[in-house]
Amino acid sequence: MEKPIIFIKDTSLTGDSSREIQTQLLKVAREKGIEDLQVIRVADLGIYDKGVALKICSLDIIYVNVKLSDAEKIIQTTIKEGTPIEDLLLENQAMQTRIVLRNCGIVDPESIDDYISRSGYASVGKCLFDMTPETVIEEMKKSGLRGRGGAGFPTWMKWNLARGSFGDEKYVICNADEGDPGAYMDRSVLEGDPHSVIEGMIIAGYAIGASKGFAYIRAEYPLAIERVQKAIDQAYEKGLLGKDILGSKFSFDLEIRLGAGAFVCGEETALIASIEGKRGTPKPRPPYPSDRGLWDKPTIINNVETLANIAVIFQKGAEWFATIGTDKSKGTKVFAVTGKVKNSGLVEIAMGTPLRDIVFQISGGCFVPENKMIAVQTGGPSGGVIPEKNFDTPVSYEHLIELGSIMGSGGMIVMDEDDCLVDISKFYLKFCVDESCGKCAPCRIGGYQMLAILEKITAGKGTLEDITSIKRIAQGMQKASLCALGQTAPNPVMSTLRYFESEYLDHIEKKKCRAGKCTKLLKFTIVPEKCKKCRLCVTNCPVNAISGDREKGYTIDQEKCIKCGRCFDVCKFEAIARA
Amino acid sequence: MVQLTRDDLKKVQPKIKAGQQYVKVGMSTCGIAAGAQEVFELFTKEIKQHDLNVVVTKTGCLGMCHAEPLVEVSVEGLPSVIYGRVNGEVAHRIIEEHVCGKRLVNDHIFDLPIRR
Ligand SMILES: Cc1cc2nc3c(=O)[nH]c(=O)nc-3n(C[C@H](O)[C@H](O)[C@H](O)COP(=O)(O)O)c2cc1C
Ligand code: SF4
Repeated sequence: MEKPIIFIKDTSLTGDSSREIQTQLLKVAREKGIEDLQVIRVADLGIYDKGVALKICSLDIIYVNVKLSDAEKIIQTTIKEGTPIEDLLLENQAMQTRIVLRNCGIVDPESIDDYISRSGYASVGKCLFDMTPETVIEEMKKSGLRGRGGAGFPTWMKWNLARGSFGDEKYVICNADEGDPGAYMDRSVLEGDPHSVIEGMIIAGYAIGASKGFAYIRAEYPLAIERVQKAIDQAYEKGLLGKDILGSKFSFDLEIRLGAGAFVCGEETALIASIEGKRGTPKPRPPYPSDRGLWDKPTIINNVETLANIAVIFQKGAEWFATIGTDKSKGTKVFAVTGKVKNSGLVEIAMGTPLRDIVFQISGGCFVPENKMIAVQTGGPSGGVIPEKNFDTPVSYEHLIELGSIMGSGGMIVMDEDDCLVDISKFYLKFCVDESCGKCAPCRIGGYQMLAILEKITAGKGTLEDITSIKRIAQGMQKASLCALGQTAPNPVMSTLRYFESEYLDHIEKKKCRAGKCTKLLKFTIVPEKCKKCRLCVTNCPVNAISGDREKGYTIDQEKCIKCGRCFDVCKFEAIARA
Repeated sequence: MVQLTRDDLKKVQPKIKAGQQYVKVGMSTCGIAAGAQEVFELFTKEIKQHDLNVVVTKTGCLGMCHAEPLVEVSVEGLPSVIYGRVNGEVAHRIIEEHVCGKRLVNDHIFDLPIRR
């Protein structure tokens, strides 16, 4: 028999009573003649704010809110007799469901054998030998899979359109341009399980009748490029790419194209131009790529995560896939959770999981436990914020749009009371202004003007009319921009205006930034009554803006001050006032 | 080049066979940025030095990027566990205490409930 092992962790935000309970468990065990019990204090159990938690490894169960007095019973009932104690069991824990990340952290990404031994390429076999392209598309329709690149377009429909278009050659493109600030889901899939994406592309190629594919990866992802190239080479080596795949009549070639890291090149028509060797700027649609795409041939473009889902759909069946998620959003979504959260990282959840579960249960809540979380940003520069009061909303395409945000590609940035929403909106807008290709006026000029207004507001020079102007410019950009970059660029601003208008008003009317992020509105001064003349601020000021002596006291030269806040942080006597 | 057939796929064996003891080091960008390369080399070296029957391999990102470098260890008689924030010192302890001594290392285990 395996040695009994218990993991222990105090998951409460204050104090740690795990040692006492650990000692007690070991003591009781010894009294009952169990000598080989190991009680291990662990760093994390993936459970938060539920008192002392235990994981009984042999039974794979978790107890929460365990008290010292429970030790006796746990050893007797659970360890000796092997029965769970109902009252202590963890209930309703939000859990991750891993489909896209099924192999990440398990297989060696540089070993095709590892991938194949976990049913890899079996779906290619199934599609090529047991199914026609039509039934493949039919199965995709049943699965309900929608694009994970942002817009959520039904994947089967895209494939069906391309299948129906006439062309002597057709192309499959994998969009691995991943430009959203804070998002890195696609990178992790490419680095951790590159074959899953290749398998998805082969199946897509078979479905639409393409014999050539391109993986468009941004050049800033050197490791992803290296691993995908290795994976492609291995697949060729084993006859899983190239001529007559698995001995069938179907052939498919795949190569990597590098993106130079312009955000707009993630947009499908710009991406196509970039592969063609032209300048990466969007084109009006129609014609859609499924009609006339790469070199004017029918082309489908799918996101990395979309493609990583495909093999599983054929392996486990579309019906199975469709049981996961909500009515209109099937399957899972991977999010890169970052910002003011305890555990930043990748989280894959079934669609329909409430935002609150992702942020609090899975990611452990606020980084600074005393702080209040105020909002979550999804969808990056095309998305918006979701305020704390709406955290119970299930995560799905429809629900997020209803709230004025979007699912996006999977960036999720958590914000707490120390963040200024006007400042954050300005950051995203500036990103879009920097990345705008400049081809059309609404985006090029509108974005610039809107940014100028936000600069004005955050400098304390805004007026109430500015808000009206923002709304007017936003409307123009949304309606008249050529591509989604310009159409969606106002979203972060509009959504913060919708939920946090009072913050804008504070900046405009009171010239105040609640979070102290808008430095132009800040003024640091020394409070003479509290100052102990320790000179700590003087030595720490990077621009020597603080002068004076022990007799007269010290003052900050407002002309020289760069508002970095060093003095505020270092002062031990709260003698620096920030207003 | 070998032309695999559909039936051949079923016969392919993983790098780590069932029952084989292993150490997997998370070596995606997030892991490497946190120092996984050094940890990987240290495990490889020490396992060779101690002449242990343990395979060391790379793997992708497990998702707990806040706790990188992550290392999964599976040896006979103990459940497979994931260690986080592994540096040279912790790697050394894992070899000494976990792999050789069959005792798990306190304070560095990261567990998470996942449905697969
Ligand atoms: C400015 C801009 C940037 C985009 N960046 C990406 C990206 O980095 N990755 C991606 O998959 N899709 C991106 N998209 C969406 C693509 O245009 C396209 O909708 C997507 O790749 C389709 O794949 P899917 O149907 O699998 O989601 C971007 C769109 C725009 C307008
Ligand atoms: S909306 Fe912006 S990024 Fe898109 S085509 Fe127009 S200028 Fe270029």
